[in-house]
Amino acid sequence: MISDKNFAIRLTDVDVCFYVRETGAVSLKELLFSLGKRPFLDKKFVLRNINLEIKHGESIALLGKNGSGKSTLLRVLSGIIEPEKGKIEVNGVVAPLLSLGVGLEYEMTGLENIKLLCALMGMSQAEIKNYTQEIIEFSELGEAINWQVKRYSTGMMTRLAFSIAIIKQPDILLIDEVLSVGDVGFQKKCLKKVEEIKAKGATIVFVSHNFNEVKSMCSKGVLVNNGTIDFIGDIDEVGERYSKLF
Amino acid sequence: MEKTLLNIGFRNAVLNLALKTIKLRYKNSFLGIFWSMLNPLLFLIILTVVFKEINHIENFSLYALSGLIFWNFISASILQVLTSFIDNASILKSVNLHPFSFPLSAIFAAVINLLLTFIPFFIIMFFLHFQLNYTIIFVIPLIIVTSIFVLGFGMILGTLNVFFRDIQLLWNTIIPAFFYFTPIAYTPDLVPESTRHLLKLNPFYYFVESFHDIFYRFKQPDGFNFLICSLLAVSAFAMGYTLFTKYKKGFISNI
Repeated sequence: MISDKNFAIRLTDVDVCFYVRETGAVSLKELLFSLGKRPFLDKKFVLRNINLEIKHGESIALLGKNGSGKSTLLRVLSGIIEPEKGKIEVNGVVAPLLSLGVGLEYEMTGLENIKLLCALMGMSQAEIKNYTQEIIEFSELGEAINWQVKRYSTGMMTRLAFSIAIIKQPDILLIDEVLSVGDVGFQKKCLKKVEEIKAKGATIVFVSHNFNEVKSMCSKGVLVNNGTIDFIGDIDEVGERYSKLF
Repeated sequence: MEKTLLNIGFRNAVLNLALKTIKLRYKNSFLGIFWSMLNPLLFLIILTVVFKEINHIENFSLYALSGLIFWNFISASILQVLTSFIDNASILKSVNLHPFSFPLSAIFAAVINLLLTFIPFFIIMFFLHFQLNYTIIFVIPLIIVTSIFVLGFGMILGTLNVFFRDIQLLWNTIIPAFFYFTPIAYTPDLVPESTRHLLKLNPFYYFVESFHDIFYRFKQPDGFNFLICSLLAVSAFAMGYTLFTKYKKGFISNI
């Protein structure tokens, strides 16, 4: 899938909006009475004027306060949110690992979830069959793989979600501070796996508030503040500017 | 991964979502899929007991049962399409999948469910003197047209429901009224001739009457009724898909 273009991700003048109802009260009555006067949805800018180019094989950290737009940026990169304006170019297969228990269905077992999520990520039935055993082994969930996910601890859910997301070598891996939940052993294993994926030439975009973790993995950073990119550069400098925000 | 429709990955995703919906509906319940049959059977008993005296038609039980099976299919599948975006909120927010796959998988799940319950219903219908002939073949186009209508109508309500959860509650309140507005518990000729034409304002009338033609009158669906069904299906789908396309950008921030 990788084309010969030398960037993995390029965003040009990207604006992203949320569409919300300003009143907050979710009621049909209000719309009916205000019909014509008030727009159906109000635009709220969450990301403005984003320009970012990430080269193949680069590992980049996104730093910023809670609510600054880091997660939204990852959702834009993974194609889940369409931008209001601007151009997004992505070269390669993206594996997003966005939040705890990403898309896991709580009433189904771990095994059923593996099959469902793999299918949702675009795998064929044959591929799913191939990867299932590997996913179970990597997750180290043992017999818990046959339990309903609602009985899992958060750590176990992370194990399952992470194992599913990374099993097929992605070209671009997006990680949103999900690794901090697993136990030390699994965290190490995940970081090692991410290093492995990286070594095979994948591009990594990483969000974490654990600066040591970030530093061990990424040499370059992006500081996101109030929906805009404040600074792109060396990870140490980004870290410094980040700590000055507080 | 592009959000393209109709590629192999997309089809596999829709199929798996549909299977998930069916599995989840009956998970943790003892009788499982049998509930899909128990519900119309219970209603059949109620209708037979309550309405048999006023319905002086031959074989009212078969009339009621065939109406009920398809009424249940229509009303349940509209509700499933309606809530499909909200039911799949966590997937919608974390997996790059075209959101059209949710209503599409909901209607697939409903059709699979209908087909699964067909077998036992056929047995019961034979006891109620159902006559099998070639006209049964018309059930296939009729189910397809009904599904397109349900998909479109459900998407109109479903898109609005993302922003106004009242729609879901409103629909649940209105559906029993539609049940009595549609000739299921009674035949159209029981309605006084002066007001009978009002029945035809109800879109569900054409679908249920077409099913009655096949399963009660053992003939092919009335051509005019079927034409209306098709027109309703095409226009509902066009409206539903347009509305959905226009407002899907607001889904993530409102679910």
